[in-house]
Amino acid sequence: MRLELQKGSRSRILAGLVLVIMAIFVVRLFYLQVLQHDYYVSQADSEQVKRLTIPAKRGLIYALDGSKPVQLVMNETVYTVFADPAITEDESKIIDTIRKVAGGSARADLQDLLDKKESRYQILATKVTRTQAEKIKAERLKGIGFQEESQRVYPEGSLAAQTLGFVDFEGNGKYGVEGALNDRLLGEDGLLQTVTDVSDVPLTIGDRNVKQPAVDGDNVVLSIDRNVQSYAQQALAAGLERTGATNGSVLVMDPQTGKIMAMANLPTYNPAEFNKVEDGALFNNNIISAPYEPGSVIKTLTVSTGIEKGVITPQSTYNNTDYIKVDDRVISNATKGQTGTITIQHALNWSLNTGMVTVAQRLGDGTTITRGARDTMYDYFYNKFGLGQYTGVELDGESSGEVVSPEDAEGNAVRYSNMSFGQGMNVTMIQVASAFSSIINGGNYYKPTVIDGVLAPNGTYEKVTTKPVRSVISKSTSDQVKEMTRVARGAFYSRVDKPGYLIGGKTGTSETIENGRYVDNQTIGSNVGYGGTEEARYVIMVQVSGKDKSLQGARDALPIFTDVSNWMIDYLKLQPRG
Amino acid sequence: MSYQPMTQFSSRRQQSWSRNQNTVAFISSVKLGPVAHTVLVALMITVLGLIYLTQATRATSYDYESQKIDSQIAELNTKKSDLEVENARLTALETVKNSSVAREMTTASSTQYVRQ
Repeated sequence: MRLELQKGSRSRILAGLVLVIMAIFVVRLFYLQVLQHDYYVSQADSEQVKRLTIPAKRGLIYALDGSKPVQLVMNETVYTVFADPAITEDESKIIDTIRKVAGGSARADLQDLLDKKESRYQILATKVTRTQAEKIKAERLKGIGFQEESQRVYPEGSLAAQTLGFVDFEGNGKYGVEGALNDRLLGEDGLLQTVTDVSDVPLTIGDRNVKQPAVDGDNVVLSIDRNVQSYAQQALAAGLERTGATNGSVLVMDPQTGKIMAMANLPTYNPAEFNKVEDGALFNNNIISAPYEPGSVIKTLTVSTGIEKGVITPQSTYNNTDYIKVDDRVISNATKGQTGTITIQHALNWSLNTGMVTVAQRLGDGTTITRGARDTMYDYFYNKFGLGQYTGVELDGESSGEVVSPEDAEGNAVRYSNMSFGQGMNVTMIQVASAFSSIINGGNYYKPTVIDGVLAPNGTYEKVTTKPVRSVISKSTSDQVKEMTRVARGAFYSRVDKPGYLIGGKTGTSETIENGRYVDNQTIGSNVGYGGTEEARYVIMVQVSGKDKSLQGARDALPIFTDVSNWMIDYLKLQPRG
Repeated sequence: MSYQPMTQFSSRRQQSWSRNQNTVAFISSVKLGPVAHTVLVALMITVLGLIYLTQATRATSYDYESQKIDSQIAELNTKKSDLEVENARLTALETVKNSSVAREMTTASSTQYVRQ
């Protein structure tokens, strides 16, 4: 029997209707699956495929405790407690719990915040520790959430604050090591691209999953010894109190390696509370960022240059009249009365400016500071000793200072006569200390560094060894200058030092310039020196200053040097010379 | 389902069969039509689909376990970091200096060396 649909029958109409519906389905599906394919795939991906950042941990910063690295800057996970006021319940319990657990981290106006029902996000407490967060979570408060974040922690408080710097709220290192080594400390965030379920749990299904692990930042070990740093800060604080100075800095470094053991600056701040600092100048490490006229401490470099060039010896003599004429200017000694024929050693002992101008003249034709003399001085001061240029120490905010070249119109004989005793130039403490180290360590200039090594993730300590950058003077010259500075210190201050050790140095009192003119009522006191046995084991530079304060190197800076120096002898367990 | 072998033997010469040609054939008595074939194929696809789903579900369950372990590791690492911070705070110079033990100590005298 052959079935045929009758024209106009209900069956035929139904068949036609089914066919039309099928056709609509086919067309619609073709539109959705073929024409709109890419759009819906991207829609699905945006819902299902998540790109999660795996945050890299910022590298830790260690200091030394003797030879052992100890943590100086660490990371801590803290939480921000927030509320969704639209869904919170039992607000009195929320307020009680948060006040009781978070304490000072809780906002004062909790009730007002929870009353803002139109808001979906109100911060109730910040920087809550993990333990505190767990206690709050245990109360199962409805509408309360937690946001995790990492912050820097400074277990040693303000120790070496200007050397460390801080990390701002955007996670960028500022000042000090944090600023200079930001890229190394930052690490590299990882990436996790994966299909997730509704709870954002990553699933292994899918063929486009990517897992790129984060690379944590380097764990840097500083050459700063926390014990030396602490004592330097303590001695400096005591010195400032004694002298009435308001600002001071102490630098301790190893002259045989260029490694810096301590950098103390006062006043200081707590890096954990950098946002509470009102005076931004506190962030600056004045040892590297505040150029000044160093004064008589530079005489050690002038003498080194003269001996190295063979124009003087420690026993060379000249006729001191307390005054010396250079072009149209008369330069006088700060200390008068040592007139007559005296040695360069004597001039150094008494810090006589005329003696240094004489050395500068002898670098020329013997009576004037010729262009040749100035070229020589510039070559030694700038090119060899590194004054007036960046040292390259791994700290943010270093200033270069300035040493005027003889090529410059201002680089005349008068300026170079002033430069011979430390005026007419702007240099930083770290430049002076590095230069001084090179003249008492045998004549080798080391780039100053605060890096002692890197602590690998597996705990292996990779120590950095330093090499001299250049030879600046001969061993013979170095030995002579080292002895001259020992004699210069010993001439007046030998009794303050521990017996049996080689301690030498030079003081300096610098005039300051206000509105382009030297002022008499404001001077800066400095002292740079070394200590050790047969070889120098440390170089210490001290500077004290203050607004409208007349501070002197010998009276105000030297006692701080002595304090730290005597402590260093005990700390380094140096045995006196037989 | 059973099979009945049909042994119809004929000599090679009679049949003119070639060398190495099978001389015995087993022919099933059960005949599967196109519908049965379709059903069987559909069943096989269904079974394969089920196997795939089972495996995918099992893999997903491992994902949850893995996620749970990852969370535990992260939590333990956080606790470890917190303990390290606490340890560093407790052994910090200021903490040690201000400790009751340190307050009881006398100031260290200078080291003296004996000359031989």
